[in-house]
Amino acid sequence: MPSNDQYAYAVGRVRAMETRLLDRSKIDRMVEAKSAEEALKVLGESEYAEYLAELGSVHEFEKMLDYELRRVYLELRKISPEPELISLFTRKFDYHNLKVIFKAHKLGEKRDELLVQEVGNIPLTELARAVSDEDFRNLPPQMRQAAEKLSEHFRMEADPQLVDLLLDRAMYAEITEMIVELDSSFLKDYFIYLVDLLNIKTYLRVKRINRPKEFLEQALLPFGEVNMMKLVQLAEPLEVLVDRLMFSRYATVIEEGVQAYQKTDTLTRYEKLADDFLIKYAKQAKYLVFGPEPIIGYILAKENELKLIRIIMVGKINKLPTEEIKERLRDVYV
Amino acid sequence: MEIRVNPTRMEFNRLKGRLKMAQRGHKLLKDKRDELMRVFLELVRENKNLRTRVEAELSRSFANFLLASAVMSGETLEEAIMYPKAAVTLNMEKKNVMSVNVPKITFLQGEEQSSDAYPYGFANTSGELDSSIATLAEVLPSLVRLAELEKAVYLLADEIDKTRRRVNALEHVLVPQLKDTIKYISMKLDENERGALVRLMKIKDIVRGEDSA
Repeated sequence: MPSNDQYAYAVGRVRAMETRLLDRSKIDRMVEAKSAEEALKVLGESEYAEYLAELGSVHEFEKMLDYELRRVYLELRKISPEPELISLFTRKFDYHNLKVIFKAHKLGEKRDELLVQEVGNIPLTELARAVSDEDFRNLPPQMRQAAEKLSEHFRMEADPQLVDLLLDRAMYAEITEMIVELDSSFLKDYFIYLVDLLNIKTYLRVKRINRPKEFLEQALLPFGEVNMMKLVQLAEPLEVLVDRLMFSRYATVIEEGVQAYQKTDTLTRYEKLADDFLIKYAKQAKYLVFGPEPIIGYILAKENELKLIRIIMVGKINKLPTEEIKERLRDVYV
Repeated sequence: MEIRVNPTRMEFNRLKGRLKMAQRGHKLLKDKRDELMRVFLELVRENKNLRTRVEAELSRSFANFLLASAVMSGETLEEAIMYPKAAVTLNMEKKNVMSVNVPKITFLQGEEQSSDAYPYGFANTSGELDSSIATLAEVLPSLVRLAELEKAVYLLADEIDKTRRRVNALEHVLVPQLKDTIKYISMKLDENERGALVRLMKIKDIVRGEDSA
């Protein structure tokens, strides 16, 4: 790992970029806007201004988010002294692309519009070739193993859920391996929290759709701290889960999230709280001056911001009540 | 208006047969129409209830889907549902309602499939998507039933329309026409008969006059 002062330049750049993130007051103005057009106008005073002119209508706002995502990753890749750091976060696009190509191939369709261009680490042509030739040798080892297992499986029985399950697990396995190499405790903890919160959510979702224990085991990601399989049985009531996690760091998320889930039968609250938890963790990076943390913090902040804009825009376009949009809004990083 | 015919006794008998037939047909068709009407109204009522229910459920599902699309990126959402998992079998048969062939669709679904309609993994998807898919899976049988009902209603309406035209045609056109024609023939025949009688009496007079002269 390069010494922390190698990051001096990158951190400086990121600090400057951070000031351009949307702050709470802008987000609030978007939420309070009367129409989708008005909400977009708020973005006119931000980094997004340059895309606004190109949008034919508010319905194309997703395009704007895509551009911005791509721009941020390409730029960060240029300034980061360790490219692996960025590719850690762009892994998900490779896996997403592989899923799309794999499913499209099995369906005999072409769904190229769903692919994420440029930001991935593996060229799309290589992924397409690997899937059509069933030759996964050039892919990273975890991905390769999962892909080989999948195509083996699909020879007998087509189960699209398995594509997601196997590849998600491979992705987190790969990320965990990469983090060990990067040797950053900040990152390590972040992903452990991420996986734990995901696993708890998965537990709740699997429980709701009444699938057996074996299925839960397959859906959980074994890279966190909390072992859901040991912690709680599927048949046990939710209170058991809340009790057992009462003294973990997730206590607030679990208590409120699960309560809201029992009351409304939706995971909205839980998802929001889980995201807030992670953003709060990421905020620590703001106070670190050297090292990779500020860059990671910025990536997370940006992804969160894109999510916020999406929630608001979808809400505004479909004229959801302001309350319902607010319910889903995550905290901001700034 | 009457039909142009030769006012003969043979024609007279033939028309009388036709009238009887038309009246019997009229009565039968009227019964058919009434029965069709009854079935139709029943179906329409059921259809209406079902439609309101299905529409409510669908809009619930769409609302959930909307919320899912707010918290997931477009590509991820599409990827999650691009490959459908649940398979259903639909069997089409025909059912005879008052000689109208209405479709009868039977819906077959594997046993554990209703809890297994989720074609995606959990790491990248939001819980809101689950509710949307669940509602859709629930509403599918009703949706198929609705399709069946609506087609039946449509076919029945068509048949009712046709039957009513026939009934009206018989009642207001054919039957009066036949009646008029029969009347015309019977009058003509009577007239002929009277003519013949007069002619005979006339001849008798002439013959008698010649005798006495």
